[in-house]
Amino acid sequence: MQLFCIVPSYILRSIVMNGDEHQRQAAWSTLTASEQCRGERRVLTLMKPGTNIMTGTKRRTVYDARHSYDLPGRLVRGEKDAKSKDHAVNEAFDGSGATYDFFYRVFGRRSIDCRGCRLDSTVHYGIQYDNAFWNGHQMVYGDGDGRIFRRFTGALDVIGHELTHGLIQYEANLSYRGQSGALNESCSDVFGSLVKQYKQKQTAAEANWLIGDRIFMPGVHAKGMRSLSEPGTAYDDPLLGRDPQPAHMRDYVHTVEDGGGVHINSGIPNRAFYLLAVRLGGFAWENAGRIWYRALCDKLREDSSFVEAMNMTVGSAGEIYGSNSREQKATREAWSDVGI
Amino acid sequence: MRILFERSGGFAGMKLKASLDVESLPPQQLRRLRQLLDQSRFFELPLRLDSPDSRPDRFQYRVTVENNNCIRTVQASEDALPPEMFPLVEWLTAAARRPR
Repeated sequence: MQLFCIVPSYILRSIVMNGDEHQRQAAWSTLTASEQCRGERRVLTLMKPGTNIMTGTKRRTVYDARHSYDLPGRLVRGEKDAKSKDHAVNEAFDGSGATYDFFYRVFGRRSIDCRGCRLDSTVHYGIQYDNAFWNGHQMVYGDGDGRIFRRFTGALDVIGHELTHGLIQYEANLSYRGQSGALNESCSDVFGSLVKQYKQKQTAAEANWLIGDRIFMPGVHAKGMRSLSEPGTAYDDPLLGRDPQPAHMRDYVHTVEDGGGVHINSGIPNRAFYLLAVRLGGFAWENAGRIWYRALCDKLREDSSFVEAMNMTVGSAGEIYGSNSREQKATREAWSDVGI
Repeated sequence: MRILFERSGGFAGMKLKASLDVESLPPQQLRRLRQLLDQSRFFELPLRLDSPDSRPDRFQYRVTVENNNCIRTVQASEDALPPEMFPLVEWLTAAARRPR
Protein backbone atom coordinates (compact mmCIF):
# COMPACT_ATOMS: atom_id res chain seq x y z
CA MET A 1 0.00 0.00 0.00
CA GLN A 2 1.40 3.39 -0.91
CA LEU A 3 0.43 6.52 0.99
CA PHE A 4 0.46 9.71 -0.98
CA CYS A 5 1.39 12.49 1.44
CA ILE A 6 0.19 16.07 0.85
CA VAL A 7 2.95 17.25 3.13
CA PRO A 8 6.32 16.65 1.47
CA SER A 9 8.88 14.67 3.40
CA TYR A 10 11.34 17.58 3.84
CA ILE A 11 8.68 19.49 5.79
CA LEU A 12 7.88 16.41 7.86
CA ARG A 13 11.57 16.00 8.66
CA SER A 14 11.77 19.59 9.80
CA ILE A 15 8.83 19.06 12.14
CA VAL A 16 10.54 15.97 13.51
CA MET A 17 13.64 18.02 14.27
CA ASN A 18 11.96 21.13 15.61
CA GLY A 19 8.41 20.38 16.73
CA ASP A 20 7.12 19.67 20.20
CA GLU A 21 6.64 16.08 21.36
CA HIS A 22 3.17 15.69 19.88
CA GLN A 23 4.13 17.25 16.55
CA ARG A 24 7.31 15.17 16.31
CA GLN A 25 5.45 11.92 16.89
CA ALA A 26 2.74 12.80 14.35
CA ALA A 27 5.26 13.82 11.70
CA TRP A 28 7.39 10.78 12.41
CA SER A 29 4.40 8.43 12.02
CA THR A 30 3.59 9.98 8.67
CA LEU A 31 7.17 9.80 7.45
CA THR A 32 7.64 6.21 8.38
CA ALA A 33 4.23 5.17 7.07
CA SER A 34 5.01 6.38 3.59
CA GLU A 35 6.71 4.18 1.04
CA GLN A 36 9.34 6.90 0.56
CA CYS A 37 10.68 6.23 4.00
CA ARG A 38 11.97 2.75 3.25
CA GLY A 39 14.33 4.12 0.64
CA GLU A 40 15.22 7.19 2.61
CA ARG A 41 16.11 5.40 5.80
CA ARG A 42 19.77 6.29 5.46
CA VAL A 43 18.89 9.98 5.31
CA LEU A 44 16.72 9.74 8.37
CA THR A 45 19.44 8.10 10.39
CA LEU A 46 21.72 11.07 9.66
CA MET A 47 19.35 13.48 11.37
CA LYS A 48 20.81 15.41 14.24
CA PRO A 49 21.12 13.70 17.60
CA GLY A 50 18.93 15.19 20.28
CA THR A 51 15.81 14.22 18.40
CA ASN A 52 15.35 11.74 21.16
CA ILE A 53 13.28 9.43 19.00
CA MET A 54 16.61 8.09 17.75
CA THR A 55 18.50 6.21 20.39
CA GLY A 56 21.16 3.55 19.97
CA THR A 57 20.75 2.03 23.39
CA LYS A 58 18.60 -0.88 24.43
CA ARG A 59 15.48 -0.17 26.41
CA ARG A 60 13.89 -3.31 27.75
CA THR A 61 10.96 -3.83 30.07
CA VAL A 62 9.64 -7.14 31.35
CA TYR A 63 6.17 -7.61 32.83
CA ASP A 64 4.53 -10.48 34.67
CA ALA A 65 0.95 -11.36 33.69
CA ARG A 66 0.73 -13.66 36.76
CA HIS A 67 -1.19 -16.28 34.79
CA SER A 68 -3.87 -13.87 33.67
CA TYR A 69 -4.66 -12.78 30.12
CA ASP A 70 -4.20 -9.10 30.98
CA LEU A 71 -1.44 -7.25 29.21
CA PRO A 72 1.09 -6.02 29.86
CA GLY A 73 0.82 -7.11 33.51
CA ARG A 74 2.96 -5.97 36.42
CA LEU A 75 6.34 -4.37 35.71
CA VAL A 76 9.06 -6.61 37.13
CA ARG A 77 12.30 -5.65 35.40
CA GLY A 78 13.46 -2.49 33.67
CA GLU A 79 16.62 -1.83 31.72
CA LYS A 80 18.65 -0.72 34.73
CA ASP A 81 17.28 -3.25 37.18
CA ALA A 82 19.19 -6.18 38.64
CA LYS A 83 18.56 -9.76 37.61
CA SER A 84 15.30 -11.25 38.83
CA LYS A 85 14.89 -14.49 40.80
CA ASP A 86 12.42 -15.48 38.08
CA HIS A 87 14.23 -17.28 35.23
CA ALA A 88 11.51 -16.46 32.71
CA VAL A 89 11.95 -12.74 33.38
CA ASN A 90 15.71 -12.93 32.86
CA GLU A 91 15.40 -15.05 29.73
CA ALA A 92 12.97 -12.56 28.16
CA PHE A 93 15.28 -9.71 29.15
CA ASP A 94 18.46 -11.34 27.88
CA GLY A 95 16.85 -12.74 24.74
CA SER A 96 15.43 -9.40 23.60
CA GLY A 97 18.84 -7.86 24.35
CA ALA A 98 20.60 -10.45 22.22
CA THR A 99 18.12 -9.83 19.39
CA TYR A 100 18.64 -6.08 19.62
CA ASP A 101 22.43 -6.57 19.61
CA PHE A 102 22.26 -8.81 16.56
CA PHE A 103 20.27 -6.37 14.43
CA TYR A 104 22.31 -3.38 15.64
CA ARG A 105 25.78 -4.90 15.20
CA VAL A 106 25.09 -6.78 11.99
CA PHE A 107 22.73 -4.40 10.17
CA GLY A 108 23.03 -1.13 12.08
CA ARG A 109 19.39 -1.31 12.99
CA ARG A 110 18.23 0.40 16.18
CA SER A 111 15.52 -1.87 17.56
CA ILE A 112 12.69 -3.35 15.57
CA ASP A 113 11.34 0.01 14.38
CA CYS A 114 14.76 1.46 13.46
CA ARG A 115 14.12 4.18 16.00
CA GLY A 116 15.20 2.65 19.27
CA CYS A 117 11.72 1.63 20.43
CA ARG A 118 11.45 -0.10 23.76
CA LEU A 119 11.30 -3.89 23.76
CA ASP A 120 8.51 -5.00 26.07
CA SER A 121 7.92 -8.59 27.10
CA THR A 122 5.26 -10.21 29.26
CA VAL A 123 5.95 -13.59 30.87
CA HIS A 124 3.66 -16.08 32.66
CA TYR A 125 0.78 -15.29 30.32
CA GLY A 126 -2.28 -17.47 30.83
CA ILE A 127 -2.44 -20.89 32.46
CA GLN A 128 -0.26 -23.63 30.94
CA TYR A 129 -0.24 -21.46 27.85
CA ASP A 130 1.77 -23.31 25.21
CA ASN A 131 2.65 -20.41 22.96
CA ALA A 132 4.52 -17.15 22.42
CA PHE A 133 3.45 -14.29 20.18
CA TRP A 134 3.97 -10.69 19.12
CA ASN A 135 0.75 -8.73 19.62
CA GLY A 136 1.66 -5.73 17.50
CA HIS A 137 3.27 -3.89 20.42
CA GLN A 138 5.07 -6.40 22.59
CA MET A 139 6.25 -9.94 23.12
CA VAL A 140 4.09 -12.35 25.11
CA TYR A 141 5.28 -15.71 26.49
CA GLY A 142 3.47 -18.64 28.06
CA ASP A 143 4.92 -21.16 30.49
CA GLY A 144 4.15 -24.18 28.33
CA ASP A 145 1.90 -27.04 29.39
CA GLY A 146 4.62 -28.93 31.26
CA ARG A 147 3.94 -32.06 29.25
CA ILE A 148 5.03 -31.21 25.73
CA PHE A 149 6.38 -27.69 26.08
CA ARG A 150 8.63 -25.97 28.53
CA ARG A 151 8.39 -22.23 29.01
CA PHE A 152 8.79 -20.33 25.75
CA THR A 153 11.38 -17.85 27.01
CA GLY A 154 13.81 -20.75 27.22
CA ALA A 155 14.80 -20.56 23.55
CA LEU A 156 16.65 -17.63 22.00
CA ASP A 157 15.44 -18.48 18.50
CA VAL A 158 11.81 -18.27 19.70
CA ILE A 159 12.49 -14.80 21.10
CA GLY A 160 14.28 -13.76 17.91
CA HIS A 161 11.41 -15.19 15.84
CA GLU A 162 8.78 -13.19 17.68
CA LEU A 163 10.75 -9.94 17.60
CA THR A 164 11.30 -10.43 13.88
CA HIS A 165 7.52 -10.46 13.44
CA GLY A 166 7.64 -7.00 14.99
CA LEU A 167 10.39 -5.92 12.61
CA ILE A 168 8.44 -7.23 9.61
CA GLN A 169 5.51 -5.06 10.70
CA TYR A 170 7.74 -2.00 10.18
CA GLU A 171 9.21 -3.23 6.92
CA ALA A 172 7.47 -5.38 4.32
CA ASN A 173 4.48 -5.91 6.63
CA LEU A 174 3.86 -9.25 4.92
CA SER A 175 0.21 -10.13 5.12
CA TYR A 176 -0.31 -13.11 7.45
CA ARG A 177 -1.99 -15.53 5.09
CA GLY A 178 -1.15 -17.62 2.07
CA GLN A 179 2.31 -17.29 0.56
CA SER A 180 3.00 -13.84 2.00
CA GLY A 181 2.11 -15.25 5.43
CA ALA A 182 4.46 -18.19 4.87
CA LEU A 183 7.18 -15.67 3.94
CA ASN A 184 6.42 -13.74 7.13
CA GLU A 185 6.83 -16.95 9.12
CA SER A 186 9.93 -17.96 7.19
CA CYS A 187 11.71 -14.63 7.70
CA SER A 188 10.95 -14.93 11.41
CA ASP A 189 12.45 -18.43 11.48
CA VAL A 190 15.44 -17.29 9.43
CA PHE A 191 16.33 -14.28 11.57
CA GLY A 192 15.41 -16.12 14.77
CA SER A 193 17.98 -18.76 13.74
CA LEU A 194 20.55 -16.11 12.86
CA VAL A 195 20.16 -14.44 16.26
CA LYS A 196 20.95 -17.82 17.84
CA GLN A 197 23.85 -18.56 15.48
CA TYR A 198 25.31 -15.10 16.03
CA LYS A 199 25.15 -15.50 19.80
CA GLN A 200 26.89 -18.87 19.56
CA LYS A 201 29.26 -17.71 16.81
CA GLN A 202 28.34 -20.68 14.63
CA THR A 203 28.99 -20.92 10.92
CA ALA A 204 26.27 -22.15 8.57
CA ALA A 205 27.95 -25.56 8.54
CA GLU A 206 28.09 -25.75 12.35
CA ALA A 207 24.51 -24.62 13.03
CA ASN A 208 21.75 -27.19 13.61
CA TRP A 209 19.17 -25.11 11.70
CA LEU A 210 16.42 -26.09 14.11
CA ILE A 211 13.89 -23.63 15.46
CA GLY A 212 12.67 -24.26 18.99
CA ASP A 213 15.02 -27.14 19.84
CA ARG A 214 15.09 -26.03 23.47
CA ILE A 215 11.39 -25.76 24.30
CA PHE A 216 10.33 -29.39 24.41
CA MET A 217 10.01 -31.36 27.64
CA PRO A 218 12.26 -34.39 28.04
CA GLY A 219 10.78 -37.52 26.52
CA VAL A 220 9.13 -35.79 23.56
CA HIS A 221 10.35 -37.20 20.23
CA ALA A 222 11.27 -33.92 18.64
CA LYS A 223 14.55 -32.44 17.41
CA GLY A 224 12.82 -29.07 17.39
CA MET A 225 9.72 -27.32 16.17
CA ARG A 226 10.88 -26.84 12.61
CA SER A 227 13.96 -27.68 10.60
CA LEU A 228 15.20 -25.11 8.10
CA SER A 229 17.63 -27.61 6.60
CA GLU A 230 15.19 -30.52 6.33
CA PRO A 231 11.61 -29.35 6.61
CA GLY A 232 9.30 -32.18 7.62
CA THR A 233 11.80 -34.01 9.84
CA ALA A 234 11.70 -31.98 13.06
CA TYR A 235 9.34 -34.28 14.98
CA ASP A 236 7.37 -37.49 14.84
CA ASP A 237 5.70 -38.15 18.17
CA PRO A 238 2.43 -39.77 19.27
CA LEU A 239 1.34 -36.55 21.02
CA LEU A 240 2.56 -34.06 18.40
CA GLY A 241 1.92 -35.96 15.24
CA ARG A 242 4.38 -35.63 12.40
CA ASP A 243 6.10 -32.47 11.18
CA PRO A 244 3.94 -31.45 8.19
CA GLN A 245 6.33 -29.01 6.53
CA PRO A 246 7.10 -29.37 2.82
CA ALA A 247 10.64 -28.86 1.54
CA HIS A 248 9.60 -28.25 -2.07
CA MET A 249 6.88 -26.40 -3.92
CA ARG A 250 5.46 -29.65 -5.31
CA ASP A 251 4.38 -30.50 -1.74
CA TYR A 252 2.83 -27.09 -0.99
CA VAL A 253 -0.02 -27.63 1.47
CA HIS A 254 -3.38 -26.16 0.50
CA THR A 255 -5.42 -25.69 3.65
CA VAL A 256 -7.77 -23.16 5.23
CA GLU A 257 -6.32 -23.70 8.68
CA ASP A 258 -3.48 -21.63 10.11
CA GLY A 259 -4.10 -18.76 7.67
CA GLY A 260 -3.55 -21.09 4.77
CA GLY A 261 -0.74 -23.04 6.43
CA VAL A 262 1.65 -20.16 7.13
CA HIS A 263 3.61 -22.27 9.64
CA ILE A 264 3.62 -25.20 7.25
CA ASN A 265 4.55 -23.76 3.85
CA SER A 266 7.26 -21.61 5.44
CA GLY A 267 9.36 -24.77 5.07
CA ILE A 268 9.89 -23.97 1.38
CA PRO A 269 11.51 -20.51 1.72
CA ASN A 270 13.25 -21.74 4.90
CA ARG A 271 15.03 -24.43 2.93
CA ALA A 272 15.91 -21.96 0.18
CA PHE A 273 17.64 -19.77 2.77
CA TYR A 274 19.44 -22.74 4.32
CA LEU A 275 20.73 -23.92 0.92
CA LEU A 276 22.02 -20.45 0.12
CA ALA A 277 23.69 -20.11 3.53
CA VAL A 278 25.57 -23.44 3.39
CA ARG A 279 26.61 -22.94 -0.22
CA LEU A 280 28.04 -19.48 0.46
CA GLY A 281 29.63 -20.75 3.68
CA GLY A 282 31.02 -18.83 6.63
CA PHE A 283 28.66 -17.02 8.96
CA ALA A 284 25.16 -17.04 7.48
CA TRP A 285 24.29 -13.54 8.69
CA GLU A 286 27.16 -12.07 6.69
CA ASN A 287 26.04 -13.22 3.26
CA ALA A 288 22.66 -14.98 2.96
CA GLY A 289 21.32 -12.99 5.91
CA ARG A 290 22.43 -9.75 4.32
CA ILE A 291 20.66 -10.61 1.05
CA TRP A 292 17.48 -11.60 2.86
CA TYR A 293 17.54 -8.52 5.09
CA ARG A 294 17.85 -6.17 2.16
CA ALA A 295 14.96 -7.88 0.34
CA LEU A 296 12.82 -7.76 3.48
CA CYS A 297 13.48 -4.10 4.18
CA ASP A 298 13.62 -2.63 0.70
CA LYS A 299 11.73 -4.84 -1.70
CA LEU A 300 9.19 -7.28 -0.33
CA ARG A 301 5.61 -6.04 -0.21
CA GLU A 302 2.57 -6.95 1.88
CA ASP A 303 1.29 -9.42 -0.68
CA SER A 304 4.57 -10.82 -1.98
CA SER A 305 4.51 -14.39 -3.24
CA PHE A 306 7.32 -16.95 -3.23
CA VAL A 307 8.13 -16.10 -6.85
CA GLU A 308 8.37 -12.43 -5.97
CA ALA A 309 10.57 -13.24 -2.98
CA MET A 310 12.86 -15.16 -5.30
CA ASN A 311 13.09 -12.20 -7.69
CA MET A 312 13.69 -9.76 -4.87
CA THR A 313 16.37 -11.79 -3.14
CA VAL A 314 18.10 -12.40 -6.47
CA GLY A 315 17.86 -8.67 -7.13
CA SER A 316 19.29 -7.88 -3.68
CA ALA A 317 22.16 -10.29 -4.20
CA GLY A 318 22.94 -8.57 -7.49
CA GLU A 319 22.91 -5.16 -5.83
CA ILE A 320 25.19 -6.22 -2.99
CA TYR A 321 27.60 -8.52 -4.83
CA GLY A 322 27.18 -7.61 -8.47
CA SER A 323 25.24 -8.96 -11.42
CA ASN A 324 26.12 -12.57 -12.22
CA SER A 325 28.13 -12.80 -9.02
CA ARG A 326 28.56 -16.17 -7.36
CA GLU A 327 26.17 -15.00 -4.64
CA GLN A 328 23.46 -13.99 -7.07
CA LYS A 329 23.69 -17.28 -8.95
CA ALA A 330 23.58 -19.20 -5.69
CA THR A 331 20.46 -17.30 -4.67
CA ARG A 332 18.70 -18.21 -7.89
CA GLU A 333 19.77 -21.86 -7.52
CA ALA A 334 18.60 -22.09 -3.94
CA TRP A 335 15.08 -21.09 -4.95
CA SER A 336 15.18 -23.32 -8.00
CA ASP A 337 16.09 -26.26 -5.76
CA VAL A 338 12.87 -25.78 -3.78
CA GLY A 339 10.80 -25.57 -6.96
CA ILE A 340 10.48 -21.79 -7.46
CA MET B 1 -24.57 -33.52 22.25
CA ARG B 2 -21.19 -33.68 20.49
CA ILE B 3 -18.47 -31.09 20.57
CA LEU B 4 -15.68 -30.89 18.03
CA PHE B 5 -12.79 -28.67 19.04
CA GLU B 6 -9.91 -27.75 16.75
CA ARG B 7 -6.99 -25.46 17.38
CA SER B 8 -4.42 -24.51 14.74
CA GLY B 9 -1.74 -21.87 14.38
CA GLY B 10 0.35 -20.65 17.30
CA PHE B 11 4.13 -20.47 17.20
CA ALA B 12 4.37 -24.24 16.86
CA GLY B 13 1.74 -24.41 14.12
CA MET B 14 0.57 -27.71 15.56
CA LYS B 15 -2.99 -28.94 15.42
CA LEU B 16 -4.90 -29.85 18.56
CA LYS B 17 -8.19 -31.69 18.16
CA ALA B 18 -10.85 -33.21 20.38
CA SER B 19 -14.17 -34.86 19.67
CA LEU B 20 -16.38 -35.21 22.73
CA ASP B 21 -19.54 -37.15 23.27
CA VAL B 22 -20.83 -34.84 25.96
CA GLU B 23 -23.36 -37.22 27.51
CA SER B 24 -20.68 -39.81 28.20
CA LEU B 25 -18.65 -37.42 30.34
CA PRO B 26 -18.49 -37.95 34.11
CA PRO B 27 -21.33 -35.96 35.78
CA GLN B 28 -19.09 -33.28 37.27
CA GLN B 29 -17.41 -32.58 33.94
CA LEU B 30 -20.74 -32.59 32.15
CA ARG B 31 -22.12 -30.02 34.59
CA ARG B 32 -19.04 -27.83 34.20
CA LEU B 33 -19.15 -27.99 30.40
CA ARG B 34 -22.83 -26.99 30.28
CA GLN B 35 -22.02 -24.12 32.63
CA LEU B 36 -19.20 -22.97 30.33
CA LEU B 37 -21.39 -23.19 27.22
CA ASP B 38 -23.96 -21.02 28.95
CA GLN B 39 -21.37 -18.58 30.21
CA SER B 40 -19.86 -18.20 26.76
CA ARG B 41 -23.33 -17.74 25.22
CA PHE B 42 -22.08 -20.04 22.53
CA PHE B 43 -25.36 -20.20 20.61
CA GLU B 44 -25.53 -16.41 20.35
CA LEU B 45 -21.98 -15.90 19.13
CA PRO B 46 -21.32 -14.77 15.58
CA LEU B 47 -20.08 -17.57 13.35
CA ARG B 48 -16.75 -15.82 12.79
CA LEU B 49 -14.75 -13.86 15.28
CA ASP B 50 -11.78 -12.29 13.56
CA SER B 51 -9.62 -9.42 14.66
CA PRO B 52 -9.10 -6.58 12.16
CA ASP B 53 -5.32 -7.20 11.99
CA SER B 54 -4.30 -10.82 11.93
CA ARG B 55 -1.47 -11.12 14.41
CA PRO B 56 1.38 -13.59 14.07
CA ASP B 57 1.51 -16.83 16.01
CA ARG B 58 -1.96 -16.54 17.58
CA PHE B 59 -4.14 -19.59 17.78
CA GLN B 60 -7.12 -20.17 15.47
CA TYR B 61 -10.10 -21.98 16.99
CA ARG B 62 -12.98 -23.88 15.48
CA VAL B 63 -15.68 -25.14 17.85
CA THR B 64 -18.65 -27.15 16.59
CA VAL B 65 -21.55 -28.07 18.85
CA GLU B 66 -24.02 -30.61 17.57
CA ASN B 67 -27.21 -30.89 19.57
CA ASN B 68 -30.58 -32.45 18.60
CA ASN B 69 -29.86 -32.20 14.85
CA CYS B 70 -28.71 -28.57 15.29
CA ILE B 71 -25.11 -27.87 14.36
CA ARG B 72 -23.34 -24.63 15.06
CA THR B 73 -19.68 -23.88 14.25
CA VAL B 74 -17.89 -20.84 15.60
CA GLN B 75 -14.49 -19.93 14.17
CA ALA B 76 -12.41 -17.49 16.15
CA SER B 77 -8.93 -16.13 16.16
CA GLU B 78 -7.45 -16.05 19.63
CA ASP B 79 -7.11 -12.28 19.72
CA ALA B 80 -10.81 -11.85 18.88
CA LEU B 81 -12.14 -14.15 21.61
CA PRO B 82 -14.55 -12.40 23.95
CA PRO B 83 -13.49 -12.83 27.62
CA GLU B 84 -16.60 -14.92 28.40
CA MET B 85 -15.31 -17.56 25.97
CA PHE B 86 -11.90 -17.97 27.64
CA PRO B 87 -12.96 -20.55 30.26
CA LEU B 88 -14.72 -22.71 27.63
CA VAL B 89 -11.67 -22.59 25.37
CA GLU B 90 -9.36 -23.42 28.31
CA TRP B 91 -11.55 -26.39 29.25
CA LEU B 92 -11.67 -27.71 25.69
CA THR B 93 -7.90 -27.24 25.28
CA ALA B 94 -7.28 -29.26 28.46
CA ALA B 95 -9.70 -31.95 27.22
CA ALA B 96 -7.85 -32.11 23.89
CA ARG B 97 -4.54 -32.58 25.71
CA ARG B 98 -5.75 -35.45 27.88
CA PRO B 99 -4.22 -38.76 26.83
CA ARG B 100 -6.79 -41.17 25.45
